Amino acid sequence: MAQEDRAQGDVLIRVEHLVKQFDGHIVLNDISTEIDRGDVVCVIGPSGSGKSTFLRCLNRLETPDGGHIYVYDDVDGDIRHGIDICDKTTDIDTHRQRMGMVFQQFNLFPHMTIMKNLTIAPMKLQKKTQEEAESYASELLSRVGLSDRASSYPGELSGGQQQRIAIVRALCMRPQIMLFDEPTSALDPEMVGEVLSVMKDLAEEKMTMVVVTHEMGFAREVANRVMFLDGGDFVEEGEPETFFSHPKSDRLKNFLGKVL
Amino acid sequence: MKKLISAALILTMVLALAACGSSKGGSDTGTATKGVLVMATNAEFPPYEYHEGDKIVGIDAEIAAAIAEKMGCELKIEDIAFDSIIPEVSSGKADIGLAGMTVTEDRKQSVDFSDSYASSSQVVIVTETSGISSLSDLDANSVIGVQTGTTGDIYCSDEFANIERYNKGMEAVQALSQGKIDAVVIDSEPAKVFVAETSGLKILDESYTDEQYAAAIRKGNTALLENVNKALSELKSDGTLDKIVAKYITAN
Amino acid sequence: MFSAFYDALYLNFVKDDRWHYLTNGLKVTLIVTLFSALMGVVLGFVVAIIRSTYENTGRMKIANKLCGLYLTVIRGTPVVVQLMIIYFVIFASVRIDKTLTAIIAFGINSGAYQAEIFRSGINSVPKGQFEAGRSLGFNYGQTMVHIIMPQAFRVVVPTLCNEYITLLKETSVAGYIALEDLTKGGDIIRSRTYSAFLPLIAVALIYLIMVLALTKLVSVLERRLSRGTRR
Repeated sequence: MAQEDRAQGDVLIRVEHLVKQFDGHIVLNDISTEIDRGDVVCVIGPSGSGKSTFLRCLNRLETPDGGHIYVYDDVDGDIRHGIDICDKTTDIDTHRQRMGMVFQQFNLFPHMTIMKNLTIAPMKLQKKTQEEAESYASELLSRVGLSDRASSYPGELSGGQQQRIAIVRALCMRPQIMLFDEPTSALDPEMVGEVLSVMKDLAEEKMTMVVVTHEMGFAREVANRVMFLDGGDFVEEGEPETFFSHPKSDRLKNFLGKVL
Repeated sequence: MKKLISAALILTMVLALAACGSSKGGSDTGTATKGVLVMATNAEFPPYEYHEGDKIVGIDAEIAAAIAEKMGCELKIEDIAFDSIIPEVSSGKADIGLAGMTVTEDRKQSVDFSDSYASSSQVVIVTETSGISSLSDLDANSVIGVQTGTTGDIYCSDEFANIERYNKGMEAVQALSQGKIDAVVIDSEPAKVFVAETSGLKILDESYTDEQYAAAIRKGNTALLENVNKALSELKSDGTLDKIVAKYITAN
Repeated sequence: MFSAFYDALYLNFVKDDRWHYLTNGLKVTLIVTLFSALMGVVLGFVVAIIRSTYENTGRMKIANKLCGLYLTVIRGTPVVVQLMIIYFVIFASVRIDKTLTAIIAFGINSGAYQAEIFRSGINSVPKGQFEAGRSLGFNYGQTMVHIIMPQAFRVVVPTLCNEYITLLKETSVAGYIALEDLTKGGDIIRSRTYSAFLPLIAVALIYLIMVLALTKLVSVLERRLSRGTRR
C-alpha cells in the first residue's frame, strides 16, 4: 500500500519536504523535521506563519501538496515501517485514531453528554464495551478534576472545562501522539492555567505532543524542543533554553522581541 | 316622545331598505347595470362557447349577442369556471348564464331558466377498440370520465360508482385516449368536436340523456326573464336561432 | 334568516350525503400529504447527502450534477404543472392509480424543497464539529451519522414542519388530475348546489384546523428538542 521507509530508534513522525499552498499562496515551504517518542514540541511563530497548517497536515485535516509524512507505528523493535500518510491510498482514519487532536474552539459535540463525548469514539471505532469505555473515561475525568460533570452537556461548562474535556476526549482513544492547535487561544485569561496544567501533566507522563501555541512560558517550561515557523519557512529550532536565550536568526530575534 | 322618535327611525329605515330593494332590479331591462348585459360562461365547451383568438365565440355567445341587441344592451362576456356560473348569476355578478347549461330540478332551486333555446344530449365517447358498444355495457366497473358539475357528471354520479371528474372536458377525453378511463360522458356537440379532433375515438349511437339548454337568470328577476324570453321567441320565429346553430353545427 | 342558513347547511352538506365529498376528500388529502412527505424525506435526504458530500469531499460529481438539475427543474416550475406532466405525459397510456400519481408528483416536488432544508441544516453545523469527528478517526459517513446529522436534525425540524404545512396546502391542486381531494370535494358540492359560500368556507376551515394543529405540534416538538441540547 503506502510508501515505506525505515527508521531507527524513537522516531514517531518524520516530515520530509512538506509543501502546502492555498490558492497559489505558499503556506508551508519545504518543511522537514522529525518528532520522536516522548517529544514535547512547541511550534511558535507569528499568525499566518503556517504553524496551524503544519499541525493539521500531520493528521491530514489539510491535504499536503507535496512531500511526505511518515508515521511510525509504536511497536517494539529497532527497525520499523513508516507509513506515508500523504499517500492517498493510506487509510487515514486508522491513523487518526492514534493521533489525538485538540482544537482552539474545543469542538465538543453539543448534543451529547460529556460521558457520551468521551465514549462514542472508543465504542464505535475500537469496539470497546460501554463499561470499558466509561471506566477509562471516568478515570481520566477524575484526573482533570471533572468527575462531577459526566452527565452535563458541553454548553453547561466553562471554556476551560470544555477544553479539559476535549483533551480527555482525545486521550480516551489512547493515542500515541497528541496534537494541540492553539488550545488556550479561545479561553478567558483566568482559564488558561487549568488547561496548561493538564497539558503539563501529560508531558510529564511522557506523552508525545506537538503544540501550536502563543504561550511562550509554557513552551519554555514544558517543551523539550521549540520550532519557529515564519512565512512558511522552518526558520529555527532548538532546546528551549538556547532557543529563547540565544536566538540565532534575525527573524526569531525580531519575533521574540515582540512577544516576550 | 321616545316612541315617536323610534317609530320615525324605523320608518326611515324601512323606506331606505325598500329604496335599495327596488333599485336592484330597477333598470327597465332587468340588468344590473343599465344598458349592459353581463353573460357568464365557461368558454371551454365547443361549439357552444370557446376561445377563438382573443374572442369568445360559439352558439351561446352569438345567441346572447342577439338577445342583447333585441334588448338594446351591450353584451359583456365573462369566462369563469362552469361550477361558478350559477353562483355568479344568483349573486347578481352576472345577469345571465349561457354555457350549454341543461335545465335540471336542482339548478332550478338556485336560478330561473329562460325558455329553451337548444336541445342537446349527453353522449358516451369510447375508444374505437373499446368493448363498450352500448349503454348497457356501462356498469359498476366502468371508469367514466366527466367534466365536474356538468349534467353528465350529475347523472353519472347517481348511476355509476367510478366517476373521474376532470376540470375540463378536454382532459377527460385525453385521459380516455390515453387509456386511463373507459368512457367519457359529455354533451353531444362538444363530443363531436373532440372525436373529430382526436383519432381513435367514437361516440356511441345511443345517447345517455336528452336535455334542454336554457339561459340561467337570477331568481325573481322577472323583468329580465321576460325580456330574454321575448327576445328568444322573436329570434326563433325570424330564423336567427336556426341560422346560428347551423353556422356551428353541420347537420349530420 | 336562521332557517335560510339551516336550509343552506342542509342543501350543501346533508342532502344526498354531500358531506361525504368532504370526508372522503379529507382522507385523500391526508393520505397524499403523508406519503408524499415521506417520499420527500427519503428523496430529500439522499439528495442532501449527495450535495454536501460533493461540497465537502469533491466526490460524486455526476450524481451532484443530476441532483442540481433536479432541484432547478422542480423548484423552478409550478407543482400543478409537474402534477399534470406526471399524469398526462410520463404516465401517458398507463392506467395508474391517481392517488399514487399525486403522491409521486408531490413527493418529487417536496423532495426538492426538503433536500435544500436538509442541506442547509448540514451546513449550519460548524466545520469544527466535522473536523473533531474526523480527528477522532471517524470516516466521512460515520462523522455524518454520529455527529453532523443529529445536530442538523434539531436545526431543521421547524423548517421541515413548515414544509409539510405548505405541502398539505399545495395538495389542493390534486383536482387537476381529477383526484377527489378535500378541495375537489368542495368543488363537487359547489357544482351540485350552486352555492359558493358554504362549501368553500367549510373546505377552508378544515385546512385551517389541520394547519393550526400541525403548527401546535411543531412548537411542542421544538420545545422538546431544545430541552435536549441546552446550548
